[in-house]
Amino acid sequence: MEREIGLTGIGGQGIQLAAQSLARGAAHEGRNVSLFGVYSGSMRGGRTDSSVVVADGPIDAPPLVSHLWSVIAMHDAFWLPTVEGRGVQAKLRTGSVVLRNSSTFDTDLDRDRFRVFDVAATEIALGLGNEMMGSMVMVGAFAGITGLLEVDSAIEGMRQSVPSHRKQHIERNEAAIRAGFDAVADRVLAAPAWSDDNEEVRA
Amino acid sequence: MTRRLMEGSEAIVEAAIAAGCRFFTGYPMTPFTEVLEHFSKRLPEVGGVCINAESELEAIGMTWGAAATGARAATGSVGQGLSLMQESIAEMALARVPIVVFNMSRGQSDYFQATRGGGHGDYRTIVLAPMDVSEAVELTQLAFHLADRWRNPVLVYGDFLIAHTSEAIDVQPIDFGPLPDKDWGIDGSTSGTGRSRMITSIGIGKAHSPTSGIIGHFEGIAPHLAAMQAAEARVETGFVDDADHIVVAFGTAGKFVRYVVGKMRADGVRVGYVRPITLWPFPEDAVARASEGKRAVMVFENSAGQLIDDVKISVLGRAPVIPIGGISTDASGFGVGDMYDAEVIRGRIEAVLAGQEVTS
Repeated sequence: MEREIGLTGIGGQGIQLAAQSLARGAAHEGRNVSLFGVYSGSMRGGRTDSSVVVADGPIDAPPLVSHLWSVIAMHDAFWLPTVEGRGVQAKLRTGSVVLRNSSTFDTDLDRDRFRVFDVAATEIALGLGNEMMGSMVMVGAFAGITGLLEVDSAIEGMRQSVPSHRKQHIERNEAAIRAGFDAVADRVLAAPAWSDDNEEVRA
Repeated sequence: MTRRLMEGSEAIVEAAIAAGCRFFTGYPMTPFTEVLEHFSKRLPEVGGVCINAESELEAIGMTWGAAATGARAATGSVGQGLSLMQESIAEMALARVPIVVFNMSRGQSDYFQATRGGGHGDYRTIVLAPMDVSEAVELTQLAFHLADRWRNPVLVYGDFLIAHTSEAIDVQPIDFGPLPDKDWGIDGSTSGTGRSRMITSIGIGKAHSPTSGIIGHFEGIAPHLAAMQAAEARVETGFVDDADHIVVAFGTAGKFVRYVVGKMRADGVRVGYVRPITLWPFPEDAVARASEGKRAVMVFENSAGQLIDDVKISVLGRAPVIPIGGISTDASGFGVGDMYDAEVIRGRIEAVLAGQEVTS
């Protein structure tokens, strides 16, 4: 089984670190993993996307995926078609799992078509003292809702992904991941990654 | 097994080092730059040498020298930089010096350059085209083995997606079997004995180490090329036997096609694929067999049409050969365009199945 996870947002939100944390965390659990990130030249505010494919066998999916089983949506700037592309929503299938950062994502979502989970990630991060850790909150929430990987593996993935000159942030990142996990305590495995039957449903 | 998430360019470097590569040089150019960077970090750690060259000309020249000692040596660039290296690649092929050259290309428009070459003389380079990072790890190691086995340059054809995609990889050395001694290497061991060795592209010998001479050297080229051609063609095929249509694609494009064909098969569509793993020798027999009795053979490539020539030569009129690729790139010109999308590719295949014209 293969699971394609997209992450979308704007530069500075921690999309690439979140993607790497998920990918390294899943690899830590022995999964096959493929990761490809796309980001524009601007350090802040530009397009930043990443796709992670996690599988229990060799990966068939090419690194640029056409369909997403799930997406972590940190911002809606590139959700709908723009001059830079057809937008992330176009890659969703009926039944795709959307984790929406309700603090920074305004676009209306079709809740009959997608399985939408709202997480006030930036607000939670702010409560922890650093609004830049919203993507870490989402990683923890994603682990809780989907069980794609254990929350401890996600933390290990984050540890391996933080560059050496940023090690001082590891502890707070871990707190943010755990806070995200706790925030979805009432929705644990609401969209289980490894026992999900919507795989062949096409958008 | 401990797998670690690494970018393709890093995985290629680890594979080269696992294969015993101890000399690398190159001049930066995206997406080859990352390969050079990883070599510059890793080779000194294993007792090797990595040099950031003044240009691609110096890079290929230094690789010439290192390989002539018998060391496993490599260089690379993107297609643009390899254009500068063509003279030396031809000379090394004619002098039977084994090197490995990486083309981290910007798309697939370097197919002719890779398979035909732009140098002089009757020479060929074996070309290995991985479809993803995992296969690049295997084919990088195979490249060094084949270079030594045939005393011939071997080219690895990668691209931006292979360089920049990360996969969880455990790079282990692969044993491809025994190789002949490098008793031709200019390693200093025969200096002062009157039997010092010489490497030349025109077959000249020395008084105490005679060679076959110019005539023998050149007459030996054809059987050498024929032997490589007969032995080294590699290919992956899928769902070919009962297919009505076939799609041929290599490298990253091949990764997309096999994925799309797998999905179409799951929906009951009788389509198959052929993915050349060696671009030279081209797997002509496999393509010919696969095309037998088919309604059409499609070619999906990210270029204006280069691979399609070899497909036509192989199919030899057994079936119509239809291009469904085209030039598709990004704002930086790195060859990562909208065409690399499983839905787009499926749409093009379905258009051919429906008898419609495909516009790229």
